[in-house]
Amino acid sequence: MHTRRDFLRTSAVAGGALVVGIGLDGRLLAAPTARAFGPNVWVRIEPSGKTFLTIGKQEMGQGVRTSLAMILAEELDADWTQVSLVQAQPGPDFKELGTGGSWSVGGSWKRLRLAGAAAREMLVAAAAARWGVAADACRTSNGTVTSGARKPIRYGELVADAAKLPVPAAPKLKPIADYKLVGSRVKRLDGPRIVDGTARYGIDVKVPGLLYASIERPPAAGVGVASIDDAAARAVAGVKGVVSFERGVAVVASGTWAAMKGRNALRVGWSAPSGRGFDSDEHWQNLEAAVAEPGVVTRKVGALPAAKGVAARYYYPFAAHAPVEPMNCVAHVKDGRCRIWVPTQAPNRVQGQVAEALGIAPEAVEVTPTLVGGGFGRRLNADYAVEAAQLARKLAAPVQVLWTRPDDMRHGHFQAASIHDMWGAVDGSRAIGWRHKKVSSPHNLSGPPTKEDLADPVAYWQDSSWGAYDVPYAFPAIETSYVRVDAPVPIGPWRSVYSPSSTFARESFVDELAHAAGADPIAFRLAHLDDQTVKIGSLSVDRRRLRRVLELVAEKSGWATPPPPGRFRGVACNVYDGETHVAYVVEVSVPPGRSPDQLPFIVHRVVCALDCGVIINPLGIEQQVDSGVCWGLSNMKGEITFKAGRAEQGTYKDFAVARMSEAPSVEVHLVPSHGEQPFGIGEPTVPPLAPAVANALFAATGRRFRRLPIRISG
Amino acid sequence: MAPTFVVVNRKRRAVTAEPDTPLLWVLRDELGLTGTKYGCGVGVCGACTVLENGRAVRSCQVPLAEAAGKSFTTIEGLSSDGSHRCQKAWIEEDVAQCGYCQAGMILSACALLEEKPEPTDADIDEVIDRQVCRCGSYARIRKAIHRAARAARASR
Repeated sequence: MHTRRDFLRTSAVAGGALVVGIGLDGRLLAAPTARAFGPNVWVRIEPSGKTFLTIGKQEMGQGVRTSLAMILAEELDADWTQVSLVQAQPGPDFKELGTGGSWSVGGSWKRLRLAGAAAREMLVAAAAARWGVAADACRTSNGTVTSGARKPIRYGELVADAAKLPVPAAPKLKPIADYKLVGSRVKRLDGPRIVDGTARYGIDVKVPGLLYASIERPPAAGVGVASIDDAAARAVAGVKGVVSFERGVAVVASGTWAAMKGRNALRVGWSAPSGRGFDSDEHWQNLEAAVAEPGVVTRKVGALPAAKGVAARYYYPFAAHAPVEPMNCVAHVKDGRCRIWVPTQAPNRVQGQVAEALGIAPEAVEVTPTLVGGGFGRRLNADYAVEAAQLARKLAAPVQVLWTRPDDMRHGHFQAASIHDMWGAVDGSRAIGWRHKKVSSPHNLSGPPTKEDLADPVAYWQDSSWGAYDVPYAFPAIETSYVRVDAPVPIGPWRSVYSPSSTFARESFVDELAHAAGADPIAFRLAHLDDQTVKIGSLSVDRRRLRRVLELVAEKSGWATPPPPGRFRGVACNVYDGETHVAYVVEVSVPPGRSPDQLPFIVHRVVCALDCGVIINPLGIEQQVDSGVCWGLSNMKGEITFKAGRAEQGTYKDFAVARMSEAPSVEVHLVPSHGEQPFGIGEPTVPPLAPAVANALFAATGRRFRRLPIRISG
Repeated sequence: MAPTFVVVNRKRRAVTAEPDTPLLWVLRDELGLTGTKYGCGVGVCGACTVLENGRAVRSCQVPLAEAAGKSFTTIEGLSSDGSHRCQKAWIEEDVAQCGYCQAGMILSACALLEEKPEPTDADIDEVIDRQVCRCGSYARIRKAIHRAARAARASR
């Protein structure tokens, strides 16, 4: 069954090496060490007390290096000041390093709790034996074991004894209510290295003898090299060679500038494309025409009434990721082995795909993942690592391939454009029918959907329309559907994936229905959220939790009282993956005289109510609300268009992104930690932002803004 | 090729590179100072910002020939131990997410505070609007700049 996290799965890494550490079945195995205490692959304590915590997810700003360390340290009762982080590399112990889907904390939670708890139990057992007391007469705190009035023993002093003990099969976990570190505001562990310039991103990797390469790529799909005139390129000082290979023509040099300069001097004749090439204006016409098709019904509740109702169409653009660190990778192929250093969200996928491309075993590919200067789903794709490996093999030398900003914006993969055809009807103050048809393009990074993918078409297209089929409201009649229109450009994961487009349409249109019913937008939503937990496809949606964040955001924003003069409010809410519940109330104004480089409105204030189950780091969560708000604003500002088969934008000027003057003050109100499971935060803060703003713009202007990016004219 | 002399972080450095090499790549590839980042190469994102005698400049737009004989400070040169008031403010406000743009942001903040020790929000907008953070850390950058300004005021 195709679940939303399947895009994280890599092809199975072959090889029968013994799994040491916590396997997927939860068994804990002791790792023999000479001096340190390392009962599993996640925790290692030195006699000095230095505590090494291994992180098995990729840090791209969402804070996992800190939050996952907090979980380990909490159960371990570590001394936080002694903690150092080790970034895991793909291997037999680490097959699930893929990071995305806002699933790092949720998916790691149980195994990290067990790992920390096991280590703590062994340290306690060692101390108890030394004192001749029972284990339950001991307490741990801050890297120290105590028992009554005895002189406390620091973990470092127990390392040798603890290492001799058997690893407990089922360590006792701390009750979440007793957590002290988890749930507290913890500053990002990487902060000091970021502010002193020593933090190492992929682009910063230097190895002896490193060459630098810049690749001239085919400008459009289906186009190949017809001729190369490289005389001027080779004449550039520092250029070592010009290499034609699978990905295009690489200029290789002794420094980055020489490689870029050499590439600018390259004259490549490209073969004529077979057709006119992809044109997004034409694509919009195709999407519009496809609205008439029935598509695949992805949800049906009751029977739609034969009422005139309200109809509207929403338009959501292509978008790029445009992280500030462009794609890059260092690769070295030597003696049948490959060494990779790369900023990636998917180290195992990199290992597997590089191995496949080079025709060697995955075990022969060693991948060092670095800090990631922005991922957003772009770095789930291993393309830029595979090409570096292919080039490295040709050069028989280590090489860094660095994408320029225009390369990065044009040659990656994109968020798909979509049209949302909405219809709804009310009777008095209640909705009596709801229809949402999404017309869009499936992900195609591994080719179009296969026969196996489409064996259960309802499940497949549900999974392509998060936010549409899983409309959370208790409308008595619902019909959602998906119409497929392929786009012949790479389409793949982008922050919140299928959700921002559907949620923009859904939460804007719920407002249109509320307006038709003469109802307050929050009251209308609440009136359609009963106390049920409903199963929708593979999701379970607890409507009470959505009610809770709506009520909280209404209270904290002062929704019942008028906003300041000249300011207007809008609301939107969403359930992300049935797990994280977010509601926004935004306050906007639409002043005249905005520059063309700015959004045509000002967002003064965002009030956020958020429920993510167990709260790991409230400070990190607040950062992700800032982050999702700015990402959503960027989505309202810039778009990617295609002409003659290629993306037209190539800079942060022509693909406009949110800037400082557009960043609102954000107030975050967290529903207190509850339940036994934390839910994700990297993506859920994106989808409700655009519709909340669009709804506020309606309050401000009386006009509906149904197309992103927002253009206010006249 | 005769070397070109540039002062970087108070040290006189001899650089052997083509005169049109942007200072950005001189710093990163010749001098091994990778704290200054590449984001766009055309002066639009600010990730490459360094200080030249206290003024913020885009190192991707300064060819080596123009940098000759001048004095630059990179993120590595702000302090030996993270104790510059902007670095401290950045930590106190927990500004960074991925962190890639922050060296450029911190140096621009330093330059702003040199020129305007008590910047208004509009002053901050004017300077930082020319830089890109894709993670959306802007609100915290603003708080950190105000905090650094207060810290300077308190220590006067």
